Amino acid sequence: MSAIVVKDLQKVYRSGAATPVHALNGVSFEAPAGSIFGLLGPNGAGKSTLVKILGTITTPTQGQAAVMGFDVVKQPLEARRRMAVVLQQTAAETLLTVRDNLLIYAYLHGLSGREALRRMEEIVDEFDLRSKLRETVQELSLGTKRRIQVAKIFMLDSPVIILDEATTGMDPLMKRHVMDRLRQEARKGRTVLLTTQVLSEAEELCDTIMILNGGKTLASGTLQDLRKLSKQMFRVNLSVAEAREDLDELLRALGPAELKVEGVTAEMLFLGEEAALLGRLAELARAVTITQFEVRGPNLEEIFVKLVKDA
Amino acid sequence: MRGIAAVFYRDYRQRMTNIAFVFWDMFVPLAYLALFGSGFQQIVAPSFQVGGQSIGYTAFLLPGVLGMITFTVAMNTSWGFFMDKDSGIFYELLTYPITRPQILIGKIGFNVLLSLMGAALTIALGGLVMDVPVRWVTLPATVVVVAVTTAGWFFLFSVLAIRLNRMDSFNTVTSAAYILLMLVSSMFYPVTDMPGWFRAIAWINPMTWQVDALRYTLFGIGASTTVLLESAAFVLFTIVCLAFAASALNRAD
Repeated sequence: MSAIVVKDLQKVYRSGAATPVHALNGVSFEAPAGSIFGLLGPNGAGKSTLVKILGTITTPTQGQAAVMGFDVVKQPLEARRRMAVVLQQTAAETLLTVRDNLLIYAYLHGLSGREALRRMEEIVDEFDLRSKLRETVQELSLGTKRRIQVAKIFMLDSPVIILDEATTGMDPLMKRHVMDRLRQEARKGRTVLLTTQVLSEAEELCDTIMILNGGKTLASGTLQDLRKLSKQMFRVNLSVAEAREDLDELLRALGPAELKVEGVTAEMLFLGEEAALLGRLAELARAVTITQFEVRGPNLEEIFVKLVKDA
Repeated sequence: MRGIAAVFYRDYRQRMTNIAFVFWDMFVPLAYLALFGSGFQQIVAPSFQVGGQSIGYTAFLLPGVLGMITFTVAMNTSWGFFMDKDSGIFYELLTYPITRPQILIGKIGFNVLLSLMGAALTIALGGLVMDVPVRWVTLPATVVVVAVTTAGWFFLFSVLAIRLNRMDSFNTVTSAAYILLMLVSSMFYPVTDMPGWFRAIAWINPMTWQVDALRYTLFGIGASTTVLLESAAFVLFTIVCLAFAASALNRAD
C-alpha cells in the first residue's frame, strides 16, 4: 500500500500583475508504507510547496495528493490525523518553556494529559532536552529549537512523517541520531518523506529518491536507478608506488573530465564507456606501478549536479 | 472538543507570559469609565434622556466601555497571529489534526474569559462604586453579549492578521477601525440625536449593535425589538467573520 500518493500535482502562484510562478508542474509519485522517500532539488525546485500541499497548508492548482488514502484537499482533517510535519522554517512557541512546547504539541495532536507527559518523558533524554525543560524557547540556540521541533514528532504514532530540511542547523551527532531514529521508525512501518539539500543524508537514508527542478521531476527511483541515469560517469581513485614529476601529464593523457593529483594519489572523473576507460587504465599500468586502484559509479551529489545542469 | 481545549490551553499559557499586557487590556477601559465617564457627567448634566429613560453619563458610557474591552481583547488576540508567524508556529499549527474553526474558537476561548473578567470589574466599579443603576438580574444576558461580541471582533481582526504580512499594516488598519467604529456608533452619544448621515452609518455599525444590546441588558434602555434585531445581526456578523477567518487560514500561504 502507498502511504503517500501524488498525481500530476501542479501549483501556480499568482500575485497581482506579476507573471505566474509555476512552483509545481505535474509532479507524480508514490511512497510505499514503511519506506523513506527523499525529495531533492535546488532552491526553488518546489520541494517546500509539495510539503505545504501534503501538510494541507496550501491547496494544489491541479492534481491530487493523498496521505494514507485521504485526499489532502477533500479530507484534510483525516489526512492531518495521519501525519506529523516538520517544516523548513524553525517553528516553536518562543514565549513558552520547552516543557510547554512538547506538551501542547501532544495535546494539539489529541493525546491526553497523562499520555502526553509519558511521551514527553520518553523523548527528553533521547534529544538531550531534560536540562532545558524549564527554559523558554526564546533563550535557546537555533540548533536546540530545531531539536525540539524534530523531537516533537517522535511523541506521536502518526503513520506518516514529513520533514522539510529538518536536520538543518543540528549538530552532527544529533543529525546522526535523527537519521537512525527515522530508519527505526520506517522499520516499524512509518513512512517518511523528507526533503533535503544534504545529498549524503538522502543517499544514506532514502529508499526512493526524487529529484525536482523548476517544479518538474528530473528523475525518480532508487539510488541504483538514478546511478543508471549517469552510467557513463566514473570516479577513479588511484595511488602509485612512487612520486613522479610526469604523473600529472600521464594522467591527463587519459582524458579525464576532472583531475586532482596530490603526491602519489590521484582522483579523476571520466565520462564515457567503462570498457574504454579500463583499457586506458591498463595502458597506464604499463608505464606506472599502481599500488591502489578504485573505480566507482557516481554518488548522489554527482548525479544530482549532472541532472540539474543537463536540465 | 479536545482540539479547542488544546488551543485554549495554548493561548492561556501564552497570554500568562505577559501579565502586564493582560492588565493593560483591563486597565484602559476602566480608566475610561472612571475618568472620561465621571468627567463628562460633570460637564454634560447629572442625567439626560435616552429612549425615554433618564440616565447619567457614566451609566450611558458603561456599555461602551464593555465594548472597548471586547474590542481591545479581540484586537490583541488576533495580533497573536503575527507572533505565531514570527516564531514559525503559524504554518505548523495548520498541519495539526484540528480544523481551522477549532483553531479560531480555541484561540478566542481564553480571551473571552479575559473580556468577562474585564466586564465584571467594570460593572462592579460602575454599580458598586459609581452608583450606576445596573440591572443585576439580567447580568447573564450581559455575559452572553460580551462573550459573543469578543468572538465576533476577534474573527473580524483575524481575517486581517492572517491575510496581512506586515504587522504595521495590521496596526494601522485596526487602530483606524477602532477609532471609526467607536466614534460612529452609540458608544459615546445617543445615535437618535445625531445628524441623518451619522445615524445611517451608526445603524450598520456592529459596534452600535453591541453597545445597544449591552445597554439593554444592563439598564433596560432601548426598544426590545430593535435590540433583538441588532443582536441577531451581530450573531450573523460573528458567523460570517468566522467563516472568512477560517477561509483565510485555508489560504494562508
